[in-house]
Amino acid sequence: MRATSWRLTMEAGPTKAKPVNADFAARIIKQASRPALAIGARITEHERLIEFVERLSRAGVAIIATAHAIRYTSERGIPAYKAGVVEATHLLTDPDWEGFDGKGKPDLLIVFAINLDLENQTFQTLKNFSDVKTLSIDRYFMVNATYSFPNLTEEAWLAQLDELCQKLGV
Amino acid sequence: MVTKPKKVKITKAESPTIKIGDLVIEIGEIEEDTWGEPLGPSPKPSWTELREWDKKLLNRYEPFYSPTCDMCCLCSYGKCDLTKDRKGACGITQRAQQARLILLECVIGAACHGAHARHMLEHQIERLGADYKIDLGLNIETEAPIYRTVIGKKPETLGDLLEGMEYAEREIQNLLASVHTGQEGDNLDLESKAMHAGMIDNLVKEIADLAQIVGYDFPKGDPDAPLAELGYGSVDKKKPLILFIGHNVAPGAEVITYAEAYGKADKVEIAGVCCTAHDLQRRDKSAKIIGPLSEQIRFVRSGIADVIVVDEQCVRTDILEEAMKVKTPVIATNDKMGLGLPDRTDDDPEAIVDDLVNYRIPGAFIHKPEKVGEVAVKVAERIAAKRAEFKGRALPEEEELKAEAARCVSCEKCQRACPVNLHISAALLEAAEGSFERLASLRKLCVGCMRCESACPRDIKIVSLMEKAAEGETYSQSYKIRVGRGPILDTEIRNVGAPIVFGEIPGVVAFAGCTNFANGAQEVAEMAEEFLKRNFIVVTSGCAAMAIARYKDENGETLYERYPGIFDAGGLVNVGSCVANAHILGAAIKIPYIFARRNLRANFEEIADYILHRVGAVGVVWGAMSAKALSIGTGLNRWGIPVILGPTGTKYRRLYLGRKDVPEKWEIYDAKTGEKLVTDPAPEHLAYVAESKEEAMVAIAKLVMRPNDTTKGRQIKLAHYIDLHKRYFGTMPEDIHLYVRTESDIPFNLKEVIMEILREKGWKERKIPDPTMLPRLIMKKKEAGK
Ligand code: SF4
Ligand code: SF4
Ligand code: SF4
Repeated sequence: MRATSWRLTMEAGPTKAKPVNADFAARIIKQASRPALAIGARITEHERLIEFVERLSRAGVAIIATAHAIRYTSERGIPAYKAGVVEATHLLTDPDWEGFDGKGKPDLLIVFAINLDLENQTFQTLKNFSDVKTLSIDRYFMVNATYSFPNLTEEAWLAQLDELCQKLGV
Repeated sequence: MVTKPKKVKITKAESPTIKIGDLVIEIGEIEEDTWGEPLGPSPKPSWTELREWDKKLLNRYEPFYSPTCDMCCLCSYGKCDLTKDRKGACGITQRAQQARLILLECVIGAACHGAHARHMLEHQIERLGADYKIDLGLNIETEAPIYRTVIGKKPETLGDLLEGMEYAEREIQNLLASVHTGQEGDNLDLESKAMHAGMIDNLVKEIADLAQIVGYDFPKGDPDAPLAELGYGSVDKKKPLILFIGHNVAPGAEVITYAEAYGKADKVEIAGVCCTAHDLQRRDKSAKIIGPLSEQIRFVRSGIADVIVVDEQCVRTDILEEAMKVKTPVIATNDKMGLGLPDRTDDDPEAIVDDLVNYRIPGAFIHKPEKVGEVAVKVAERIAAKRAEFKGRALPEEEELKAEAARCVSCEKCQRACPVNLHISAALLEAAEGSFERLASLRKLCVGCMRCESACPRDIKIVSLMEKAAEGETYSQSYKIRVGRGPILDTEIRNVGAPIVFGEIPGVVAFAGCTNFANGAQEVAEMAEEFLKRNFIVVTSGCAAMAIARYKDENGETLYERYPGIFDAGGLVNVGSCVANAHILGAAIKIPYIFARRNLRANFEEIADYILHRVGAVGVVWGAMSAKALSIGTGLNRWGIPVILGPTGTKYRRLYLGRKDVPEKWEIYDAKTGEKLVTDPAPEHLAYVAESKEEAMVAIAKLVMRPNDTTKGRQIKLAHYIDLHKRYFGTMPEDIHLYVRTESDIPFNLKEVIMEILREKGWKERKIPDPTMLPRLIMKKKEAGK
């Protein structure tokens, strides 16, 4: 699969994301020992997004609600850690950080529904200053993640998210 | 015989001659001023002298890096890939490279404000003489708090300010040198230097604004500065209109002077975009502000302007090309941008006017402000009739709009170039069918960067089409803004000093910076209103002050009409242009000086330490774009003031984040006892990015907390923090136990629920210290209050 960055100017250097589909993404998540999902202010961009957060949470993915997304996770009773996205990212760059629950740091950060600039810069920080792998399941190809969905129409994106959850058994 | 040389160090001389035995030393320059305060430890500090202070800050607030580019192409040793653990050919790491770019941007910002200050100061000295007194009126004795603290002198005349300029210029040169290949390679030293550049930036802005306040008789801290007009609807489109773009008001002020002297004041419209517009209104309240930076190209394309005068900073570099499309001549006035235009400074004004009016030249470079005054007015008057077909008529007609929109092939290249990711093609599709609402609605979110047009393979003039679709609203609206008042009065500081330091006025929030917004300008006004209602002091400047004005309530009133201009609880204070925002920091510095009687003179560290631990001020730069905004913010950080950026601010590549989960980071001394103790993580961060206005508002309420708050003050601050957290996040804050020091800190109506949380967290009561990070201040505390 080939993909180009949704916003071409986000191409930061020679190290680029591997484009993945739902099936591959599910395998990456299964292989991770402590996957976490960060969501942000774009959670209201489509009414179904919060449903996928709920399903991923049921699949054992820890949820980090950034910006005011905590409002939507708590309304649905989804357990979530609350932090600013830069705060969470900063913690992930600390090799000695023990994680929000004190039991260990996430080894995979899955991301979607965050302001695109902020999302891209999050990948940039983690690519350059941590060993945490990153997976974008946003609808745009995020070239600075480790793995990313390619650029998708809204319909195709929702279908991929649905398939991803199904492959994880939720 | 070789002997060890003996050193004689004289830091200050009271008399021109010093005798040591038979040795007589003549001193060239004598310290002579009327300021009786003893000289502090750091007059005109070099970077090395404040490095230890920066290290303290940087230990607590770790730099957080987020590169926009993984490579470096600064020298021909490269290009180098610095991703992750790789190093450049010069040995630099990714972390240091990011800090180096931050330093470079801060130096650019400081150099911009410095060159602006130098130009303005020399212009005023030329007009009024070096001995012209700096007099800001009876209510402002502390005329230059930043200057006094950094330089260690009280400037009494315009000429005195030259010493500050010379200091700043020397430091800027040193700092810029550090960026060269094979120089500074430690990211923390680079950050410390960036802070130094930021402090210099703050200083030169104060110099620039002082020079123009006294030179042009701008309002001198008047809380009742008049209301003035903003918006496309505020200009009389029938009159010849001179549009000013930029930041340096010298040519604009001379245009007003010329128009007044020759009876033209009622015959021409004077209007501006960006900070020059603020300063035009400070000179003459009948001048109009068109809007912030984002309006620049749109207004030019409207064709309403008959002549455009550009000065410096934030001017589009393609301004000449755009102006020519609507037959508007351009006058460049400042050596920072000549635009390739012929230098006509020494020519006869009539000859220049004739050439411009007859389009023999597209514009002229005239770097003498007085001559610009005459030429601009004459050109505007004579050319207006000639270009009637463009004046306000340059936008496409509706049929053209439909036809142009129909040419769109939905390739989405525009959206992929758009920083706001606007779905332009969908709006064009509807416009082609005659439905313009969706296209019009995009205008509110568009930052006017023109990248979409540049990317479009069909060469569709997207921004002009958007403008046409929104024409009805844009062209009819006018708004009220309060004229920039400049400094905060000493008398106001006397009234609010204690309530701010004790926390009873919950905080000072300053909205400043550019219009590179992720979700439109209205968010700034909404945030300002939230904190005005909560009795914070809201201060503003620059494009943010304009964004606040462009929001009316259901009665058609702007916040400036509804809230007074006083520096007090519930006041909305527009200080003016970007250089005027030095007065926001100035107010923070005056609090330890006037209220707590701390010495200012060459006493940077103590003042910054005081502000960091006691003055609940926070800056919000929601749409920051420029290098200047970065240097201003980094300077504020060094003085102990936290700054919140909008989501686009993450592209500055560096934040300063605290770790509330690491108690050792919050160690301070109790100045009363010398005891080292862990205090509350307040302020939690020094430079933070919030993704949404909701997140920013909660962050503001948290970042105004200070370790020195009294229990009553902390109760009030906690009540706001909890209320905003519940309103926007729907939950109680999870870190509340970190900010409750004693039971008396708990807001009365929340006692039960908070005590329950505290029990769960295993909370223990803590001492409220007299906080400082400077061991030399232990036991030297002076009594507060005059
Ligand atoms: S400055 Fe250093 S990292 Fe940059 S191109 Fe030159 S050698 Fe490479
Ligand atoms: S001008 Fe407006 S629509 Fe065009 S790219 Fe810039 S922000 Fe987007
Ligand atoms: S780039 Fe031009 S042609 Fe392509 S979608 Fe945008 S407006 Fe249409």
